[in-house]
Formats: sequence, C-alpha cells, structure tokens
Amino acid sequence: MTGKQKKGKKTMLSMQKIRKVYRTDLIETHALHDISVDVAAGEFVAVMGRSGSGKTTFLNIAGLLDTFDAGNYHLDGQDVSRLSDSEMSRIRNEKIGFIFQSFNLIPDLDVFDNVDVPLRYRRLPARERRERIERSVEMVGLLSRLRHLPAQLSGGQQQRVAIARVLAGEPRLILADEPTGNLDTLMSREVMDQLERINESGTTIVMVTHTPECALRASRQIHLLDGEIVDLDSLPAEGPPEKTAASFAATVP
Amino acid sequence: MLFHNLRIAWKSLKRNRALSILIVTGIALGIAVSTTFATVRHSFAKDPIPTRSGVLYYVRLDSWDPLKPYPGADSTLPPTQVTYRDMTEIMKSDIPSRQGGMFKTALYVFPDAKIGQPFRETIRLCFSDFFPMFDVPFRYGSGWDKKADEGPEPVVVLSDEMNDKLFGGKNSVGKTVRISDRDFRVVGVLADWAPSVKIYDLTQNFIEKPEKIYMPFNFVKPMQLRTFGNSDGWGSSGGLSGFDGFLQSESCWIQMWVELPDKAAVSKYKDFLAAYVLDQKKHGRFQRPVNNRVSTVEEWMRDQRVVPPETTAMLIVSLLFLGVCAVNLVGLLLGKFLARSSEVGVRRALGASRADIFVQHVVECELIGVVGGAIGLALSVGALALLNQWLKTTQLRGDYFHLDIPMVLLSVGLSLAAGLAAGLYPAWRTCRLSPAVHLSLQ
Repeated sequence: MTGKQKKGKKTMLSMQKIRKVYRTDLIETHALHDISVDVAAGEFVAVMGRSGSGKTTFLNIAGLLDTFDAGNYHLDGQDVSRLSDSEMSRIRNEKIGFIFQSFNLIPDLDVFDNVDVPLRYRRLPARERRERIERSVEMVGLLSRLRHLPAQLSGGQQQRVAIARVLAGEPRLILADEPTGNLDTLMSREVMDQLERINESGTTIVMVTHTPECALRASRQIHLLDGEIVDLDSLPAEGPPEKTAASFAATVP
Repeated sequence: MLFHNLRIAWKSLKRNRALSILIVTGIALGIAVSTTFATVRHSFAKDPIPTRSGVLYYVRLDSWDPLKPYPGADSTLPPTQVTYRDMTEIMKSDIPSRQGGMFKTALYVFPDAKIGQPFRETIRLCFSDFFPMFDVPFRYGSGWDKKADEGPEPVVVLSDEMNDKLFGGKNSVGKTVRISDRDFRVVGVLADWAPSVKIYDLTQNFIEKPEKIYMPFNFVKPMQLRTFGNSDGWGSSGGLSGFDGFLQSESCWIQMWVELPDKAAVSKYKDFLAAYVLDQKKHGRFQRPVNNRVSTVEEWMRDQRVVPPETTAMLIVSLLFLGVCAVNLVGLLLGKFLARSSEVGVRRALGASRADIFVQHVVECELIGVVGGAIGLALSVGALALLNQWLKTTQLRGDYFHLDIPMVLLSVGLSLAAGLAAGLYPAWRTCRLSPAVHLSLQ
C-alpha cells in the first residue's frame, strides 16, 4: 500500500516498502508492513489511524528516531536508510522539527533556553542563536514570557513554545505527533492556525492526529491500519464509509 | 558547550535534592577517607628537602662484627651510623663540596636568672657545612665558619623557639648563652624550620622537630660529649679506656653526610671509600665484605622505613573504600539518569547525538565528583587537624599532617576519577538507548 503525493513537486519524504518489526524473546510484532509513502516538499499531510496502527512508529522512522528492518527511505533527496547515529542526529537537528502531544519542554529550562536546545546542538554562535530565539518566540506571541519556566505557562502557551523551538531551527520538515491532543478547542485552533501559516511559508508538515477537524485542515490524509497504509485518495469516492477521514477518525476512542 | 552542560548538570543536581545529597555524600566520604590517608602517607614519604636532595648523600660503612651482620630487618645493610674514627678519617677527603658528621647530645642550659631555672636541652653537634647543606633558614646572623669548626670556637646557633625563650625573640646575635660549664656566643638564630622528617638524623624519632641549639662538632672532645641518640657497638676500644676509648671504639653513633655535586663526584667518592675500607682491612678492621653505602635521600629514607607500612596499607584500604563508594553510586546514577529519559529523548529528537548525551551525563558525574570532592577535602582538613592534635600529645608536634598542593591535586584527581567511575556506565547506558525508546518512556 502507498501514500501517494501530489505530482509535479519535489519529494521531501519518500519511504519505499518500509518494514518494522518489534521483537522480544517470545513474540514478534509487525508495526509496519512494507509501507510506501511519498510526501512532496511543501505538503501538509495528516496521518490518522487507531491506537496501535503504527502511526508513532511511522513518525519515529520518518524523524530518524528509530531504525527499520527493510525498505528504503529518502529524506530531502538523501538516502537516510543506513546512516550513523551522528549523521542522523545532524539531519534531525538541521532538517526536521518535532512537535509532541505533551509539548516535551524541558521543565528546568525557561522559554529562551528551551528554544535554544536545538540551536546549541547545531553549534551556532551565541548572537545568531539569540536572534533566532527572539524572532521565533515573537512569532508565536510569547516574547514577554521569555524567562518563564514551562510550569508557569498554560498548555497552549507551552505548545507555542514547542512550535517556536521548531521555528528557530528553520527545518525543512515538521513532524507533529498529536500537536493538539492535550489542548482545548480554542488552543487547538490557534496551534493549527500556526501550523498552517508555517506550511504556507513552504515547510513540509506531517502530522499525526486523531482529530478529524485537524486532519481536514491538512492538504492530504494518510490512514494507517494495522501497520498498512490506506490511501483514501486512491479509493473510489463511493468507497466504504468507514474509510472516510471523518468516519475513520470517529472510530478512534 | 561545556558551560551549557555544566548548567544542565547543576539544574539536574538541584532537581532531586535528596538523591543528589546521597550521591554527593557517597563521593565526599570516599574522598575524605582517601585524601586523609594519602596525606598521612605523603607526609612521611615526600622529599623533605627537595632543593637539596639531588646532591646530598648519606654515608655508611660496614665496620660491624665479622661474625654476624648488623642487626635489623635487612641483614645486607651496614650499620646506620659511622664510628668517630671513621668519620674523622673520611672527612679528610676533598671530593665532597660539603660534608660533616653530626650527633645529638643533651646538656644543661643556664639562662639569665630573670628568665628562669636551668634546663636540660637536646643539642646537635655538627660542622659549619650543616647549615648550607640542609638549606637551614636563618632569622638573624648565620652559621659559624670553618675556623670555628677547627677551634673549636664557643659559638652556637639557636632555634627561633629557643631565641624566644632565652632572649624574648630579639636579635641575640653576639649575646652569650651558658651551656654546661661554658659560655657560647650566639652567631645565628634560625627562622621557623620544620622539615617534614628530620632528614639529617633518621636513626631515631624522625618526625620530632629539629633541635633548638647547634654547636661545633669538635666540642665533642673537650666537653667529652656522648650521644643522646642511638649508639651501636660491638668491638673493643683497642686498649684505650674512658672517653678516648669510646672515641676509638667500633661504636657507631655519628650520622655522616656529604654533598656531591654530580655523578662523577659520587663515583669518585665511592672509590675513595672503597680504598679507605681496603686500607683499614690491612689494619685488622672491616673484616666483613666491603659494603659501603653512599645513599641518596630517597634511598636512605627507604632503608630506614620512614614510611610506615601501615600508612601504605591504610591508603590502599581507603582507595578501595572510595572505589566501593563509586561502584555503589552506579545504580543510583543509572536510576537518576533513566528517570529523566524523556528529556534525553527530546534532546535526541532535537539533534543531540549519542556523544552529546554521553558528554552531558559525564559532565554531570564529574560535577558530582567535584562537589563531593570539595566536601570531602573539607572533611579531610578536619580529620588531619584531629590527627595533628593527637600527634601533639605524643610527639610535641601539631603541624605534621597538612594538605599541600600535590595532595589537593590528588584529591581533585580522585574526585574526577570517582565521578567518572560512578557515572561512566550510567552515561553510556543512557546514550545507547534509541531516541524512540526514550520518548516512549515518558
């Protein structure tokens, strides 16, 4: 099964027959079954699926956070199937931005230092780091909270800091894992607006979500089911009702 | 990046204070014990006269009983001191740039009646070369000259403490001190001088303070002075009786030092001693195999077992204790690191390599080591102060054990090593987990 991209654009993410099996002494769990996905540069793709369908595994592999057992993966034209840890770290740092459901800010660090983390690993000079941090935090409207700790911010504000952390790194690809999962409706809308604006500036976004409203704001939806991709674009319009974005998402608890 | 890692480490220490205190305390105890015992051993073992030890040599000749070796733990060693007759003969050599035999005696000192009652004092009899040979510092005046050696002239050098006692600490050069039945003119007053071991005389209690009065050696005959230190004898006095018989006997009671400026001089002096002994054999002395020793300061200290074996044993035990402390902290650190696994996952996702994570955690371990080491060092200062207090009650010396720069550096090194030993495995385990695993642990 494949997730097809729109034709005519440069490919940002291209996975071919990716397989991932988790093994223990007793059992093997096939998390991804030879999935193939292409995402064009500048696309905004939503990935949906039930719990255990392989969404997180897909996102981990896409973000070079995890390895895979078979298949090929090209990111921004580069074969990233067999890279060393330091090479994968560098690509994560320079090309990929992560937004997590639980924000994943470091609790001891204030807003400034949290946004600074990826820039530190890029070994950017102090002045450039400061400029990037202030610019990105201003973009999410939190410049006045630069020295606040995460615990002093609301959930929505924390997620905006996480977005600022991504923006500061100026990535080519953003991987968002349930970015609105811990937010109320108003905050969710704000975050989605922010992601849309980022996408409009040319950044590719792959977002895992359970929320149909959020998924429908993406330009394309990819559905994962038991480690396989169900691409609705390839199905006939009169396809089974349980395969539509909204109804599929509705089955998720 | 190092400063950044230190900041992260400091925040991590503050995050879980109880656990951090436990870990730091473990390191501190290990460092305190090992630094204390390392300092105790070092106080005995360190070079007591680093500026002069390269050219000073202690002389021994085997004039002992032909029927049995000189008693001691090592039967291959000659007597620890030389006889009076051998000293006077070998001092005729012009190979050493400086030389001198010496011994200590005890005489009554008669202070001014306003000062107090006569008292018995230990006095060192030595030659004028003694003061420059052992780099003895002076507050007032200087040592005496060779003319005073030969006379002998009635001159003395007082210690700072004795000058305080007899003259209230004022410059007493030129003043007179009555010792036994003679008046001696003060020519010099020593500055505060307390070598780590009394290197010039290791035949007795070598951690006691130097003597408080020094007078020319050649008063030995006119005053008929006998040693107040060790005296080992075996043979007859060659028919002479009384004090002359003692001086001509095979009794060994004089410490003999020479200053030899280079290896060629050492070799030449050894040849001279060998020739002297062979000549003496012709006169019926030195019936044992030739066994002359021209020992460096280090060799002489080793032969005299200046470093008590107990201190070495205690040092080994204390280092093992530090090792046990460090090993016990491995589990605590592993738990501490894995408890914030999600943060590691986030850092990995944001671009930290395994090396970055490893270095970050090693820096944290080293910070723990340094903080624990600083506390341990402070505890060690306290422990050494207690040891000095105890020593003062037994040896009248309360300044023997103290931390010097090498010991502080050792303590810092041990702290870093302990931090590394405790944290290397946890840091390695933490950095080896894949980022996805770290993120799934949140």
